[in-house]
Amino acid sequence: MRYRVLAVVAAAIALSVVAATAAASGKQATAHTLTVWLQVDAQNGWPQVVNAANNAFENSHSGWNVNVQYQNWGDHLQKFDATIAANNTPDVIEMGNTEMTKYMAAGAFANLSASKGQFDNSGHWLAGLKKSSMFNGKLYGVPYYAGSRLVTYRTDLFKKAGVKKAPGSLKKFEADLASVKSKNHSKGFSPFYMAGTDWYSALSFVYDYGGSIAKLSHGKWHGTLASKKSIAGLKAYRTFFRSTAPKSASKLNEANPAPYTVFSQNRTSAIFGPGWFSCCTGKKYTKVTGQFVMPSHKAGQSMPGFLGGSDLAVPGQSNSQAEARAWIAAFTNTANEKALQAVGNIPNATNLLNGTVNDRAAKASWFVPTAKHWVDVENGNILRTMLGQILTGQLSVKKAAQTASANIAYTLNQS
Amino acid sequence: MGAAAEVALQRPRRRPLVWRRVRNGAVPYLLVFPVVAVLAGVLAYPLYYLVRISLERFQLFELVRGAGVYIGLDNFRSVLHDSTFWHTLLRTVVFTAANVTLTIVGGTLIALLLVRLWAAVRILLTVGLILVWAMPPVVAVQVWIWMTNVQNGVLNYILTELHIGDYFGHNWFDSSFSQLAMVTTLVVWGALPFVVITVYAALSQVPHELVEAAQIDGARAWRVFKDVTLPVITPILYILTCLSILWDFGVFTQAYLLIQQPAIVPGNYLMGIYLFEEAYFKNDYGRGAAISILMLAIVAVLSIFYVRRMVRVGEVE
Repeated sequence: MRYRVLAVVAAAIALSVVAATAAASGKQATAHTLTVWLQVDAQNGWPQVVNAANNAFENSHSGWNVNVQYQNWGDHLQKFDATIAANNTPDVIEMGNTEMTKYMAAGAFANLSASKGQFDNSGHWLAGLKKSSMFNGKLYGVPYYAGSRLVTYRTDLFKKAGVKKAPGSLKKFEADLASVKSKNHSKGFSPFYMAGTDWYSALSFVYDYGGSIAKLSHGKWHGTLASKKSIAGLKAYRTFFRSTAPKSASKLNEANPAPYTVFSQNRTSAIFGPGWFSCCTGKKYTKVTGQFVMPSHKAGQSMPGFLGGSDLAVPGQSNSQAEARAWIAAFTNTANEKALQAVGNIPNATNLLNGTVNDRAAKASWFVPTAKHWVDVENGNILRTMLGQILTGQLSVKKAAQTASANIAYTLNQS
Repeated sequence: MGAAAEVALQRPRRRPLVWRRVRNGAVPYLLVFPVVAVLAGVLAYPLYYLVRISLERFQLFELVRGAGVYIGLDNFRSVLHDSTFWHTLLRTVVFTAANVTLTIVGGTLIALLLVRLWAAVRILLTVGLILVWAMPPVVAVQVWIWMTNVQNGVLNYILTELHIGDYFGHNWFDSSFSQLAMVTTLVVWGALPFVVITVYAALSQVPHELVEAAQIDGARAWRVFKDVTLPVITPILYILTCLSILWDFGVFTQAYLLIQQPAIVPGNYLMGIYLFEEAYFKNDYGRGAAISILMLAIVAVLSIFYVRRMVRVGEVE
């Protein structure tokens, strides 16, 4: 009799466990995850925008939750390649505008041409970003944001040195930095900090003098870094760097250390980089951080800034493409783009520009050659090598530029 | 009746004898079989796929589609005609020679030191070595990066404070040579514990009486080492050298992470880095597979010496 009761109780427990598990797994069966890959820039610079988009998406798509995985610029493409091989790609991926062409040519992304109207302000997208999202006339990405390069500086140190307004020319800027240096003698302090091999910033000098990286003619790429104008720009860069930046930074890159880290440690009074650098200049100096556009060597003009930017693409292997497009639409809507603008970025559409220092910087800009193998030039560190050789004096400007130019042409002309 | 019974008695007896011999002969193979099966399962398919890709054009376009295009030995031809391959091979050989020499010589010296220490100090040193051995390479690289940081690194600070020179703001990764030298210090640091502990164990085989006899005869430390100690530990040193060559030839993690991707250029490629860049950065998986197979062939030739020695050691015992 006892055993029969035990058996009944055991059966009841077993049944209820099974029922509960079935119910739970039933719930799990309807829960979907949207995997989104964004860069750490978003994690550091505008996490509130990401949260807003996630909330909006989850509210309108019950049973879905968004899994945002932050990536680093240095290795996110290798990780993406691995997911392509494993047929396990994210549903949305942020790509740098210089990285898009190679992947569009390989057919990695879904064609978004038919859904263009789904995205806010798609009729007014910035020309440069839109161009980087299109291949053979079809749309494969949604412009996310752009950024030009600005000088972020310490208003208190500049004031102490007697600098009253933003310099109107490169020569004046050099003189202002020398004034700051004369008023600040702590060891390891340098009035200006820039990573010597930061080509996004350094090549602005080349474009300021009318030079360029490469030109396409008759279907073949020709390297133009060894032209007279480009060499003049590189020489101007070397002069500026040697008189204002620390020698130890000649061969460093802009990821390690990040310029805003050097700024926050009170080891410099000015850095050159994207506008959103102002996010991370340190709690102590938030109130005394200002920005202005890098002046050209020609008085009264701005130095062209690298128009960097990102696009959002949907990998073709994704099984949730409709939801991916909906998330992108939520992330790049007008309100979020305005929020991105508020933290120092350029929004993705011309009707949202409102004359901030960033937008002014974007008026004079340059971009890399739109070639399928451009990303191989970046990964091969050809420009970084050239800049390091020039700044350390290892090679003359002419020799370093000629070598780099030949390497770039060879890489871009590969099949 | 008696003969039949005899035969009947004999027959069962013969079968167990043969079966026992077969069973005993088969035992070693049966014991090894699970390991071989797992290794074959885990390695066979990737190896087959590697060879297949090396014979195909397999770039980003083919990756997205999931299939390569057969092009025969073109990848191998392209790699062997590439001057970068030969320069990298030479650089890797020199790098390996430097690392192995420093590891074996340094390891033997520290092992000889261990023999002479007080028990307490010996334990401390051994614990230190074990901790070095236990540290994952990626963590070690990160600590090295912090220590050699241009502005804030403790290495620059200590050298300047000790008045060894003015190392303020010194960049330890200025040239290809200095980059690979830093990688060498990291790799040798990580490889020492294994060599030290193995050689220390081997040194315990050196007969004390011989050493004392040699010292009484007036032999100096170097003679004692050369004529008494070295012959005893030579087999172990030989094996350790073979292993070190195999490991250091293919080193990738420490080199790639310490130099860091923005500074990786053909001028400081090692074979492991060259392979990684070709396959994963330039997305030319076919070419990367070809380089990988060439590396495998070189390492296989080197490991013949190691395997032959191990077999000989086994036979003696």
